[in-house]
Amino acid sequence: MSLNIVVCIKQIIDPEIPASQFKIDPATKRQVQGSHSLVISAYDQNAIEVAIQLKEKHSGKVTAISVGPATAVTALKSALSMGADEAILVNDPLFGSQDQQGIAHVLAKAIEKAGGFDLILTGCVSGDWGDRAVPAFMAEELEMGFVSFVSRIEPKDGQVVLRRVVEDGYELIEAKLPVLASIISDETNTPRYPKLKDIMAAGKKTIPLWKAADLGLDPDRVGQGAARVAITDVYIPTKESKCEMIEGDTPEEQAVKLAARLRELKLI
Amino acid sequence: MKFELTQEQQIFREMVREFAAKEVAPLAKQVDEEGLFPHETIKKIGELGLMGVAIPTEYGGAGADNVCYAIAVEEIARACASTSVIVSVNNSLVADPIYKFGTEAQKQKHLIPLASGKLLGAFALSEPGAGSDAAGQQTMAKRDRDAFVLTGTKNFITNALEAEIVLVFATVDRHLRAKGVCAFIVEKGTPGFSITKVEKKLGMKGSSCCQLLFENCRVPADSLLGEGGQGFKIAMATLDSGRIGIAAQAVGIAQAALDISLSYSTERLAFDKPIASFQAIQWMIADIANQTEAARLLTYRAAWMKDKGFHHTKESAMAKLYASETANRAATKALQIHGGYGYIYDFPAQRLFRDARVTEIYEGTSEIQRLVIAEHLLS
Amino acid sequence: MLGTLVFATTEGGGLTRNALELLAGGKRLKGKLAEPIGAAILGKELGPHVQQLFAYGADQVYRAEHPLLEQYQGDAYAIALHQVCQRAHPKVVLLPGDSIGRELGPRLAHRLKAAFVADFIDFDLDAASGRLLFTRQAYGGKAMAVVQPHVSPVVATVKVRAWDPATKEEGRTGEEIRVDVALEASLLRTRLLEKIQEEVSGVKLEDAKIVVSGGRGLRGPEGFKVLEELAQVLKGAVGASRAATDAGWVAPSWQVGQTGRSVSPELYLAFGISGATQHVAGISGAKNIVAINTDPEAPIFKVAQLGVVGDWKAVATKLIESCKELTGQ
Repeated sequence: MSLNIVVCIKQIIDPEIPASQFKIDPATKRQVQGSHSLVISAYDQNAIEVAIQLKEKHSGKVTAISVGPATAVTALKSALSMGADEAILVNDPLFGSQDQQGIAHVLAKAIEKAGGFDLILTGCVSGDWGDRAVPAFMAEELEMGFVSFVSRIEPKDGQVVLRRVVEDGYELIEAKLPVLASIISDETNTPRYPKLKDIMAAGKKTIPLWKAADLGLDPDRVGQGAARVAITDVYIPTKESKCEMIEGDTPEEQAVKLAARLRELKLI
Repeated sequence: MKFELTQEQQIFREMVREFAAKEVAPLAKQVDEEGLFPHETIKKIGELGLMGVAIPTEYGGAGADNVCYAIAVEEIARACASTSVIVSVNNSLVADPIYKFGTEAQKQKHLIPLASGKLLGAFALSEPGAGSDAAGQQTMAKRDRDAFVLTGTKNFITNALEAEIVLVFATVDRHLRAKGVCAFIVEKGTPGFSITKVEKKLGMKGSSCCQLLFENCRVPADSLLGEGGQGFKIAMATLDSGRIGIAAQAVGIAQAALDISLSYSTERLAFDKPIASFQAIQWMIADIANQTEAARLLTYRAAWMKDKGFHHTKESAMAKLYASETANRAATKALQIHGGYGYIYDFPAQRLFRDARVTEIYEGTSEIQRLVIAEHLLS
Repeated sequence: MLGTLVFATTEGGGLTRNALELLAGGKRLKGKLAEPIGAAILGKELGPHVQQLFAYGADQVYRAEHPLLEQYQGDAYAIALHQVCQRAHPKVVLLPGDSIGRELGPRLAHRLKAAFVADFIDFDLDAASGRLLFTRQAYGGKAMAVVQPHVSPVVATVKVRAWDPATKEEGRTGEEIRVDVALEASLLRTRLLEKIQEEVSGVKLEDAKIVVSGGRGLRGPEGFKVLEELAQVLKGAVGASRAATDAGWVAPSWQVGQTGRSVSPELYLAFGISGATQHVAGISGAKNIVAINTDPEAPIFKVAQLGVVGDWKAVATKLIESCKELTGQ
């Protein structure tokens, strides 16, 4: 069963930089990029992997979409080098101060414009702000079924069965197509490292750029003032404690000292 | 003039950086402490196409450029220098010469599996009596009907224990010096070829460094790489590229030294302040950063020149010289910044210090690099 | 006119701890907004829960019963909760930041054209504008953000375990409102085929006072047996980093982190965990973190209060012995 899949990806500043190098710009209330690299948000990478695996097993097409600044082209090319067939960049200064609902509206319109998808995938949580709502909003905008925290997808009789990870186990959910799913990681969807030759090949592909005017957006939903929630402040909380290192000649000695210290602190 | 990587190079760098952080770095301590050859990691590196970065895809390589190669070696070295030398030897010292000088049959037989990471190669030029004086080869190659018979000893040969093929240099006539040297592709298991010693080294402990013995080792005539007497030229041309790899490796080590210096100095308190707030430490960090950046630019330039087909002997020598001396200075400073912790095995500073040391020695000592540079300027 | 509507979930014969946390929050909001609290429950045979909800602080209980609501299904619950809100007209809707709330919240917000605030941990009333301000984590806990909704109503999910549960007031009463939900099977686009529950022995991870956790450094699933033994001695629960669950060494429900559980134990012991942002985000509520790792530069040491640079197995094995002695086992 051939599937036409679109994966929505977000490019973010590498979240694994040391905490001491993490800085916020008070004017924009966003993280300062400085010399840190830009990466695809981790769970978006799992989503790309799920899409590619489905294509490899069942045939079909994978399109990667990103709403972001011009630098997001490298994220889209990474997706292409992992095996996506096409990529689209949606970029417009109008999208600067979106909230989650605003971004979802833009993505939904872009997906409608591209059209014809059976499966829409996103990461389950964004690697920068830790937001989880964009996929749910998108499903509402697109008026389709939505399942969150999906680790595996299998086509079945013209529909799909999705494995949804919940607090105490998992659920198997059958969904009519088209359906939107946000992807969580598990041992079956570790994102592949793209081969160098595929990175070189992806470099040759052109990526269309769509602007706000191309998408038929609702003017009340985008731009300054359209956001329903505004960020009034972002600050770095002060860290008071320091790590007390337990020394010892052997790990066993360290363990004994640790136990004693925990007892001293009344923790055990 | 653009001081910017292409998009492909940027994407590639991100990919290797992530790979190195997740797959290479976690094993670095064990590789060093146990002298462990990282088989699984090397296999994955091969699958990504990094054992033949600049080799065209029709010969099993990734079809990328030498800047990508420099990036690959740097990012891997940043995580684990031992792993990076396994990669650089394979790419620069074995795959590259076979690509440049090999017959179609040799490329099909050896280059494809080499570049695609299915087997490893080694480069056997150094001998007990001929290191810097590479033209003074003592290992003999005697023509005998449809074969050559090799006799002699090679030492300090990296990767030899794990390599399936070894590029062996030998001379048909010692008196001819450079003009008598020939290069041979020798397969492991060939009777008369044995590994007689595996050296215990100060650093780079994950890669094997061996002494090879050739006792009437008979190799078919078609294992000759290039023409008879072309061996010295092949060795020199190969080292020109190899130096880009070692320069990149040294940049990686220097960068690692910078990383740990930044991390440690912002956390370690002395006199109620992080030591990074003291000018003495700040100057050390500035020096490491400054020199690492300069080394990187020299390395990328040499790689770029090779990509453009320009003669790059002087530039490769400059990059290798500067980067290897930088790696040593950076590692020394990093160790000093760590104070007592720099001296103990729990912390990585000492490993960088030991790994860096050989970069000024192999693939042409710093003294040889200086001679190469001076020759280009004065002749 | 309702101040706050709390989406209350039930389990067994009672209310979930998440529901009690939301009601505690609702009480605080009542203090700020001076308007009543309502609780919405969806399902089947919800009778016994009505009194419980009054006892824990609800002034009104909106009871929506329908066979299609017996188990959580995204479309059915979104439709039903929307209809409840259309009856109740709340200013603020609170849902838990669990796997249900995180789906349901945004869907409801869209249908109500409401503002949506995600996973907040605190709130306040801005004296000048009279608007609510919510505080939430950002960047995996490296930063805190204060957000202000510009429209009404506000739908918000609350970070699980950010608040203490509400206290019970026996005999408290309120108003019960039954909502007849218009719901048909044809409106449901997904269908639950099967639910596979994982065996949890001992203490539940998010309720445990002590958590013993393992990561990539354990190098395989066998290591978790040692941690399980330690957890038993300490009467705690076992958790895992994403690296361990992604490798399939332990079940996904053991995961602690940005995905997986947020935990706020008194003591969190991290064995062989490097401390990636994603993991640290899940332990920001832990009162005392102990890190055991062979890499002294591992980021986990930057957030830990106690650290051991050493082999996890040797330390854990000896720790079992030492803790047994100290606790008289």
